[in-house]
Amino acid sequence: MIDDPRERVLAGTYACVARFGMGKTTIDDVAKESGVSRASIYRLFPGGKDQLLRETVGWEMNHFFARLAEHVYDAPDFATLLERGLVFAHDSLRDHEVLQKVLVTEPERLLPLLTVEQHRVLRFITAFLLPYLEREQEAGRLRGGVELEVAADYVARMILSLIGSPGRWDMDDADDVRCLVREELLGGILVPVSGGL
Amino acid sequence: MPSVAAPLTSQTDIRSRAVEATLACVARHGLSKTTIDDVAREAGCARATLYRHVGGKRQLVLLTVAAEGERVAGELRAAAAAHDTFAGAAAAVMGAAGRELGSHRAIQFLLGFEPELVLPHVTFEGGDRFLAHARAALAPCFDRFLPPDEAVRAAEWVTRVTLAYAYKPDAPVDLTDEAAVRRLAHQFIVPAFLPSTNSN
Repeated sequence: MIDDPRERVLAGTYACVARFGMGKTTIDDVAKESGVSRASIYRLFPGGKDQLLRETVGWEMNHFFARLAEHVYDAPDFATLLERGLVFAHDSLRDHEVLQKVLVTEPERLLPLLTVEQHRVLRFITAFLLPYLEREQEAGRLRGGVELEVAADYVARMILSLIGSPGRWDMDDADDVRCLVREELLGGILVPVSGGL
Repeated sequence: MPSVAAPLTSQTDIRSRAVEATLACVARHGLSKTTIDDVAREAGCARATLYRHVGGKRQLVLLTVAAEGERVAGELRAAAAAHDTFAGAAAAVMGAAGRELGSHRAIQFLLGFEPELVLPHVTFEGGDRFLAHARAALAPCFDRFLPPDEAVRAAEWVTRVTLAYAYKPDAPVDLTDEAAVRRLAHQFIVPAFLPSTNSN
């Protein structure tokens, strides 16, 4: 049993959304699922269902990106980190049952919330990437004139774009991912590998 | 003279008036509240005329999106054509796109008040479709500088970058700031497609 009532409510809301969808989930459902009273839920989330849904989306996004970070943090270098990250994120998204269901049944409810929460996630990803870029700089692999914060922000934005919409890239094809990361994404950030690709 | 002949209006004329009228109505009240009657009134034609030449609201929206898409793509291609380097063309496309987006009252209304109508078409699978349209429409911007397949990839990449910086309030790069856009293009985009070039 989770101690923190806020956590219990968010986890409970997520479970209800998985079962009933965003539109049909009620505060009563969440109270029943989480074991937290209606009154307490309204105290914790004075904005009611709207606030609750928005924060639940943020909560699950945090989990998603925490899992992603865990999967890539020990990559030997920046390019490898991004390759692993894109593939893992693509697979996780595809296998994320609740997300896929809501994208089909209630995209108009979910997408505005995802977009709002993206600002936070962007800061998280940028902060996560920065030390790896610093390491590249120390190893002498950064192109001249690259500002670390600007580069981290750029890569973070492009990662989010690619995770959501791979476009013409086939994330199941290792060569495609390698080309995407090393040529297009990092072509202006890392010095070319000597000896060519 | 007993009667004045009604001016001959071609299908094309009605359709283009319908597009302009739809954009004006959406800029004022958004899409959900815009009706065929609103558009007919704005276009200065009868409801029945609209139905005959365009169709119902759904057809009207599809027509408007297609027409605006083509118009904006044309603007971006023209912006690129004025440059004789890939860096210049890329920066021009992003800057023009940023300006178009920022000044487009209908899109700004939707993004601000009815985002759920726009977002499904630029995120996830909708995003993939959008990128597919964009890269086909914008590859001509770059085919003077790159082999055909690279030009398509560059078009997709430039579209991604524009979307990623355009609509986020705290974006570090303001797409309407020409110098900032040029720096972005030179720093991150040009070397990715022209690795032998250092700077232009």
